[in-house]
Order: sequence, then structure tokens, then C-alpha cells
Amino acid sequence: MAHVSVPMYWRTIPQRYRLVGHKCRKCGKVNFPPKGVCKYCNGSSDFEEIQLSGRGKVHTFTLLGAGGAPPEFAEQEKAGGSYPVTIVELEEGPKIIGQMADVSPKDVRIDMAVTAELRRIYTEEGVIRYGFKFVPAEGA
Amino acid sequence: MAVGISGYGVVIPRLRIKREDYTKAWGTFAAAGVNEKSVLGFDEDILTLSAKVAKRALDSVPTRAVGITRFAFASTSAPYAEKLLSGTILTGLGAPGGTFASEHTTSTRAGTEAILTGFEHVAAVPGGTALVAIADAPTASMWDSLEHAMGAGAAGFVLARAGLIAELEGHASVVSEHLGERFRPKDTDRLRDLNVRKYNEGAFLANVTGASSALMEKLGRKPEDYAYVVIQQPDARAPAGAAGKLGFTDAQLAAGLVSANLGDLGAASTAVGLAAVLDVAKVGDRVLVASYGSGAGSDALSFRVVGERKATVSVAAELARKEYVDYVQYLKIKGAIK
Repeated sequence: MAHVSVPMYWRTIPQRYRLVGHKCRKCGKVNFPPKGVCKYCNGSSDFEEIQLSGRGKVHTFTLLGAGGAPPEFAEQEKAGGSYPVTIVELEEGPKIIGQMADVSPKDVRIDMAVTAELRRIYTEEGVIRYGFKFVPAEGA
Repeated sequence: MAVGISGYGVVIPRLRIKREDYTKAWGTFAAAGVNEKSVLGFDEDILTLSAKVAKRALDSVPTRAVGITRFAFASTSAPYAEKLLSGTILTGLGAPGGTFASEHTTSTRAGTEAILTGFEHVAAVPGGTALVAIADAPTASMWDSLEHAMGAGAAGFVLARAGLIAELEGHASVVSEHLGERFRPKDTDRLRDLNVRKYNEGAFLANVTGASSALMEKLGRKPEDYAYVVIQQPDARAPAGAAGKLGFTDAQLAAGLVSANLGDLGAASTAVGLAAVLDVAKVGDRVLVASYGSGAGSDALSFRVVGERKATVSVAAELARKEYVDYVQYLKIKGAIK
């Protein structure tokens, strides 16, 4: 299992629970997840926090299943079958990776409108790790 | 100073299981009047539902309140037996942590408990705004017919003094001592019920009618003054007994009878029922809400609809957003076979 200690997880809660990103004060691009140095201009560590909308569209996706899931998601795959993992292009620009929920895997499409919401990601040491997943946008 | 509901929202998990799937598996389905029920997804729990419904309730208020000054959470099926829960929800919303938050968890009456504590705050603090998130998905052993009715859902409310959709006219409560019906011993997530049927029905009737008649007496109201009545729905038949005894008709019950399609929503039962009524009610309509918590007690609340505004996502829209699972899928998602 890709172990992330509770303190490490805790430090990243704003980005995991509600998509807080970093806007570079030099080039204006939005970094998500937040980085030490802007990954677009490579020339600034001067950021302002920005609350991302969670809205975006599916840039690309794959389905994980049949034993292909990482160990922390093995139980989820066993209980619910294969699940989509998407790269979503957010309204604010960043392309970010996340699971997709509330959708039949066969219905996922490129360019589908999605929105982020809080879900259980996995449980380790009895501690539930929450974070965002994407779901079809209302009316999509 | 009038206090009331200035915003509301509901969230129903997308999965459903039908009565026929239970009948196929067990030969019987014990939830009277329930056709299908909602099921929590593998990656959903009470806190994820609460975070979503709290956001929806806030989004339904057009002039976004200055800030939440009181938060109340209610559920009988939180994912932790001990750990503060409000922080998960408020952090998910990006709300500041300096709010007093209360958590109501020990019976299905918890939903109205949270609403009433919110109203107490708003009545006491000028400019105060309370956010209430109520979510529930009760669980019992798959061997127990008590489990058949259990669904999942959530409702959230913003309570304030201005911009009201429905004004609180008054409330009344009853607590009493009843043993052996719907209880959860320490150290288990499975509900039990000694299932002494007439005795259970008696407890339900005595508490619900006790609180409701006390309220109507206090306000000088009769059942015919109300367009709608919402009563705790452990199944889809129980509310009719209490409603009939109080002098309400099935027509007054119909709009808020969400259990026929969602099952027993526990602490969220009357909250989701009230949201369904607010979705269709007209200005001037009165709504009586009576919760029930085993053990036992009931809170009755009387509302008068004063605003046309509706939730951004209706109960009907959430009912329509669904995908069915069969009984084996249900067992897997519920973690009943490992």
C-alpha cells in the first residue's frame, strides 16, 4: 500500500477535502496540488491560495479492475467492480487525477462535465481518509 | 422575532434496491409500504452526505449568509463511535472553525434535536445563522428483518431570521421511557429490536401524538389547518397510524412520505420529508413535522410557508437520479460478506 502517514495526510487536507490550489503571483497559473516552485514558470515560489470550483471536464480516463487496483482500493474494486480513474481539466486550468463515482464505467466520456465532491478514499489503521472524487455534473 | 428556514437541500445516494430483490433472497420483505430504498455507495458515509447536503443548503440561499454562527449535525450512524465529526463537514465547506458545533446522535429523533438547537441559537442571537446537516443510514444485521427498511439520505437547513421560506410557529416535545424497541448496544453498529409489535406501536403512537397534540393545543390549531403533515417513517405505513389518530388524512401525509421510495432514513426521515413538502408547498401552507426516537421521544414543529423559493436540487430530482443494485451487490457494498 502506498502509505501516507496521518500527519502527512493532515497537512494536505485543504487540497484533498476542498481543492485549495496555489496561484502563482509571477505567471498567474494555478498549481494543483500546490508545489514548492511553480511548475509552469519554474521561477516563483510566491503563491496565493485559491479555492478551486471543482468543476471541470474529463480530459481522459481509464478503468481499473480485475485485480489492477492498488491495494488500498482492492476492497472497493471487489465490492463494486471496476472503477474509472480520470484526468480532469478544471475550469481554472489544472489537469488533475481523481477517481470518478456515481457513474457506470461504461458511461464515462471524454469532455463529460464533472464536479468534485467529498468521498471516502480508503481506510488505513482504522482512520478513514477522505478526499475528492469526481461525479457527473448536475444535468450532465 | 420570527425565526425559520431560509434555505434547504437534500442528498440521496444514487444506488437503490427494490423490494423484489429482498423477496427473492429472503422470501419476504418486512418494510411495510416500501417499494425500493436508497443505499450508500462504497465510498459514501454519513460525513460525505453531510458535507454535500450542507453545501446544497447554503447554495440555496441567494444572499449568502454573512457567516454560519452555529452548526448542528445529526445522525445515528456516524462512521466513528468517538471522534468529533463536525470538523470533517465544516473543513469540507471551507467554513471557519470558530463556530460552536453540536452533534446529535443517540436516536432517530436527532434530526429535529439539531433543528431545534439551531432555532434556539437563531432566536437568541440577533444576526445569527445556523446550519444544520442531518444524514443517516441505519444498519442492522442482514439476518434481522429490521434491516429491510433501512435506507440512506440527508437533508440540510439554513436557519435564520430573514429571507425565510418557512417560519417556525412553535414546537413541543415529549420524552418517555420505553425499553427494548430499536436500540444499539455498546460496541456494535447493528441495531436490535425485541420486536414486541403492539408495544412498539404503542410507544410510537403515544410519543408522536403526545408531542403533536400538545403543539396544536399550544397554537390553537386543528389538523385541518395544516396542508401537510410529516411523521417519522420507520416504514411507509407507521406514519398513517399516528396521523389517523391525530385526525390527519392520508392526503396530508402523501407529499412528505419519502419512505415509500427511500426506506427508513432514521434521523433524516422527517428532515427529508419536510424538504419534499417545501419543494411543493405554497405560501400560506402550514406543515406539521413530528419526529420519533426510540427509547423514546418525539419533537413536533409547526411551520408556515412564507416564501416561494425552492431548493436548487429537488427531492424529486434526487429520487430520479438512481441506479439499481441486486441483493448480492447490496451485500458486497454493505460489507456484509468479506
